[in-house]
Amino acid sequence: MTAEILTSPALVFLLGAVVLALLPERFRASVFIAVPLLALAALWGMGDGYRLTVPFIGMELVPLYADKLSLVFGTIFAMIAAVGGVYAWHITDLRQQAAALVYAGGAMGVVLAADYFTLFVFWELMAVSSTVLVWSRDTDEARAAGMRYLVVHIFGGGLLFAGILMHANETGSFLMTALPEAASLSSILILLGVALNAAIPPLHAWLADAYPKATITGAVFMSAFTTKSAVCVLVRLFPGWDILVWVGVAMALYGVVYAVLANDIREILAYSTVSQVGYMVAGVGIGTEMALNGTTAHAFSHILYKSLLFMGAGTVLYATGKSKLTELGGIASKMKVAVFLYMIGAFSISGFPLFNGFISKSMVVAAAGDAHLKAAMLLLILASVGTFLHTGLKLPYFTWFGPKRDDIPVGPVPKNMLVAMAFGAFFCTLFGVLPDLLYRFLPYEVTYKPYTVYHLVEMIQILVFTFIGFWILRPKLAGEARLPLDTDWFYRAPAGFARRRIVGSVAALFDGTEKQVFAFAGTVSDWFRNPMGWLHPAYKGTGTASTYSPRHGVVMGFVLVVAVLMGLYLF
Amino acid sequence: MKTWHWIALAALTLISLILEMVVLNHTVPGFYILWGFFGCVVIIYVSKWIGNQFLFRDETYYDR
Repeated sequence: MTAEILTSPALVFLLGAVVLALLPERFRASVFIAVPLLALAALWGMGDGYRLTVPFIGMELVPLYADKLSLVFGTIFAMIAAVGGVYAWHITDLRQQAAALVYAGGAMGVVLAADYFTLFVFWELMAVSSTVLVWSRDTDEARAAGMRYLVVHIFGGGLLFAGILMHANETGSFLMTALPEAASLSSILILLGVALNAAIPPLHAWLADAYPKATITGAVFMSAFTTKSAVCVLVRLFPGWDILVWVGVAMALYGVVYAVLANDIREILAYSTVSQVGYMVAGVGIGTEMALNGTTAHAFSHILYKSLLFMGAGTVLYATGKSKLTELGGIASKMKVAVFLYMIGAFSISGFPLFNGFISKSMVVAAAGDAHLKAAMLLLILASVGTFLHTGLKLPYFTWFGPKRDDIPVGPVPKNMLVAMAFGAFFCTLFGVLPDLLYRFLPYEVTYKPYTVYHLVEMIQILVFTFIGFWILRPKLAGEARLPLDTDWFYRAPAGFARRRIVGSVAALFDGTEKQVFAFAGTVSDWFRNPMGWLHPAYKGTGTASTYSPRHGVVMGFVLVVAVLMGLYLF
Repeated sequence: MKTWHWIALAALTLISLILEMVVLNHTVPGFYILWGFFGCVVIIYVSKWIGNQFLFRDETYYDR
């Protein structure tokens, strides 16, 4: 059993992180890429249906469970960890490298867990390790954002943990099975905990707060793991929960509004993630086999193109040191390769035929149509109009195109960053052209065909006319140097007040007490420096005791106090 | 945007409309043209309106 646990793909990542720390710097980047490939081999070595049970405090735990769902998620996690390793090849900061591997291991552990105990352990591991990727940016802004990120995730973990304990109490089991759609407190707490990681509004603000402030390479890993592992857990626990249909649709549109307002390029991508995860959540809510397939496929596609987009945004930040639309523009000619590769990601997320968004997003949309949720279907298509608008048009147009500018210095970008983007772009295209490569690994049998006349006509019309709308109204979409408030306002705005009331008042109490204690000690030592002054009514002199140094005074005072106390005690 | 770009877009639209009318039944021809265009316009105006009315603050809002 111990040997079997050691072959766990999640442990491969964790051991990899330990080994990495022991290696000389020049080997680390290569070993970093080897670890996910080993984990991938371990994952596929388990095979569909593998199940490892471990007895634990009188309960049965299943720390490793491979079914089609966990294999698809595990595969894409390992793939993107390897691609991210290429992107971060030039990084020598061990802290980031180790944290990224632990983070990938946490995500892998979450999707392979079939009991709540294992789930929770890896869940928290992800929260802590990803925080390090924010802190590694080493700016005051990143340190503060990382702390908010950590606190919010600990809160989410607390909700999940409370739900798990109640659930275990009710059912006597830690095993993860689909929860019945009923408003029991335990299910709702688990749902809220998972929803926080899936960035479902209003619990999503950590994402748009932290991702733009993480390191260039860290954001690539973050874009892949946290939300998508939560989606996998949603598929396992909450399939067919009707409320999630509308939560997902609302989320898809919510992300669009904020992505249209945002100014920082990685913030636009973060809100675009909220929007995209909305499709997956809606798919979980619809709950049919086709919808759950769609959710899984879309998570797979999303990880590929969103990491590609984050890598593209990272090259801009690397080359110019800037990430705000208001400070960018007109530099496409200086970073042609990055622009080209980014645009493949943009075409993918927008659902262009021949790219992988086309073959996955449409599955969720079509599943909504088949389930007679026409309104949900149309609103999801509207959200995809928005996706093309902000990620496919607004971001690249105001970052790279427009009037040429020479006042923005564009430095060189490490080759490995572009190579990693090329890998991402290759996979986005590969799965778009050959969807069956992905479809055969989905949880249920796929009958859906993406390349139909209807779907092609739909997407051509949508995309062409979204573009025309953008072109006419593009001055309105230019970045604005303003900050759109989001739900993080609820904990950021009162932070100053809370700091004054909670931290400040306690600190004041300690300070005051400390002052009192020192004042008392000072008075006592003054008194006992020369007790003759008040013990002997006739004593007038000041001379003799003052030859004592203050240290002597304290010691003598102490001796006298002890003597007096002993005297009082004895008589 | 050069002229031939617009011609290409017009050609694509035309092809999609013809396909819709010849091959597909039960669809409203050009529905997604309207959905795409007006969706785009509505998203821009509604988002900016929400932003200006309720959400936008100074960039240093949280730093104060």
